[in-house]
Amino acid sequence: MKEREVIIIGGGAAGLAAAVACYEKGIKDILIIERESHLGGILNQCIHDGFGLEKFKRILTGPEYAQQYIDQVMEKKIPFLLNSMVINLTSQKELLVVNREGLHSFHAKVIILALGCRERTRGAISIPGARPAGIYTAGVVQNLINLKNYMIGKRIIVLGSGDIGLIMARRLTLEGAEVLMVAEKLPYSSGLPRNLNQCLYDFDIPLLLNHTVVDIRGNGCLSGVTIAQLGKRGGIVPGSKRKISCDTLLLSVGLIPENELSRQAGIILDARTGGPEVDERGQTNIPGIFTCGNSLQVHDLVDNASLEAEYIIEGVVDYLRGKLKTKEEIKVSLGEGLRYVVPQRLVNHKDTIFSFRVIQPGKNKNLVFEDDKRMIKKKFLSRVNPAEMIRIKLTSQELKSIKSIKVRLK
Amino acid sequence: MKKEFTCIVCPNSCRITVEFEGSKIKSIEGAGCPKGKEYVKNEITNPVRVFTGSVLVEKGNFSLVSVKTPSPIPKKYLKNIGEITHQIKVEAPIEIGQVVAKDLLDEDIDLVATRKVNRKNILLF
Repeated sequence: MKEREVIIIGGGAAGLAAAVACYEKGIKDILIIERESHLGGILNQCIHDGFGLEKFKRILTGPEYAQQYIDQVMEKKIPFLLNSMVINLTSQKELLVVNREGLHSFHAKVIILALGCRERTRGAISIPGARPAGIYTAGVVQNLINLKNYMIGKRIIVLGSGDIGLIMARRLTLEGAEVLMVAEKLPYSSGLPRNLNQCLYDFDIPLLLNHTVVDIRGNGCLSGVTIAQLGKRGGIVPGSKRKISCDTLLLSVGLIPENELSRQAGIILDARTGGPEVDERGQTNIPGIFTCGNSLQVHDLVDNASLEAEYIIEGVVDYLRGKLKTKEEIKVSLGEGLRYVVPQRLVNHKDTIFSFRVIQPGKNKNLVFEDDKRMIKKKFLSRVNPAEMIRIKLTSQELKSIKSIKVRLK
Repeated sequence: MKKEFTCIVCPNSCRITVEFEGSKIKSIEGAGCPKGKEYVKNEITNPVRVFTGSVLVEKGNFSLVSVKTPSPIPKKYLKNIGEITHQIKVEAPIEIGQVVAKDLLDEDIDLVATRKVNRKNILLF
């Protein structure tokens, strides 16, 4: 069994940022394990621009953003394995890797899970109807068009208004396909407002809110779908069904943090985020196993995934130096108006960045942190949107001597 | 005339209200930064966007290379540039920032690579 100080599983945005940050803090015995043939993860297929404004103060495309980190990894000679998949992880921080050379076992003092996320598929949202070819998730289409040079169809309907769906609606239009509409089940878009603007409105692609696909037709290949309007209680509005012919249905109906390995190792997951329950520096319930990026919580901006990875390294360093406490924790409880909060517990009472998503869009809200009845912090938000993650920092001073903590939207 | 824009420059997505007549701007409200003001000014006079897409690669370890316009171009040209990208072929190796097409549509529009593509290793035997 080979021994490493830190092993990072995943060589995408979070994993690369974690590796670079580790190295800069003086931890140099690192190994990155990546299952694809290239570092960079999902960024490689995100060829649109809009990345890096926060991190690099300029606007980059996905591959350019990834290259910033890949260059640093190369320059620092941080070791990595490509085409290598971790197939087993234990609570003793032992892992089994498979690649063309065979099976390899490793042990590390610290393991950082930067596993990314997966797309929800047709099965997850249970659309009835035939099972023809021509139904894809948006990320798969992004991969096929941007990396593999396959065009997937000519008349396209997008179900779900997630960001990748919106971006692919634009990309498909520019590649010469006709995007007939984007249908969204909810009364509001689940993508960022700027993507609605530059991906749909720029190309006159209609966004149908409160609409969904209720039937799929096609013998062999997709020939059409039925769209219906949904009422206030979520039922189909009578008489609103419309048959539309199309050759492709694109699903952009949400992302799920990928945590099969975490489960295997006995890491406790939060049902709200789909990622592990963590303390303020990304440590899971297993001491020495940390997590960051989309496997912790789905981010809407890559910059935040990178920043989160850099931020947890402080915890990694403290752990390796034996300075990290693991007891006397305070649970962060979730009040009304919020879908989730990360971290789920506080241990060290250091400066802490809390991440949230709200349940529904709203205006002029206050985000309130309370210790029993005492107000710890209040933050006014002129606009809230489930598509936009909210990040708020509380200082160690503000968190000093608290007995409990609850956050809610007022 | 009054119109509300959602700024696309950064993730803050500022809602910016502009009062204007023709191409004359009377007032701009709600912009969180100067870039936002510039964005709405352009939206009224000449909306611009960065084009991103891909072109074919010969002898590369990828079959495509992603490209962009180094600066925003008039929005009306986006679809035309999209069509043109289908006809462009570049030979590997390609570096980030390398110009792969120049002066498209007689409009001083260039495309630069946003990915590194190495030459494919060809086995000779």
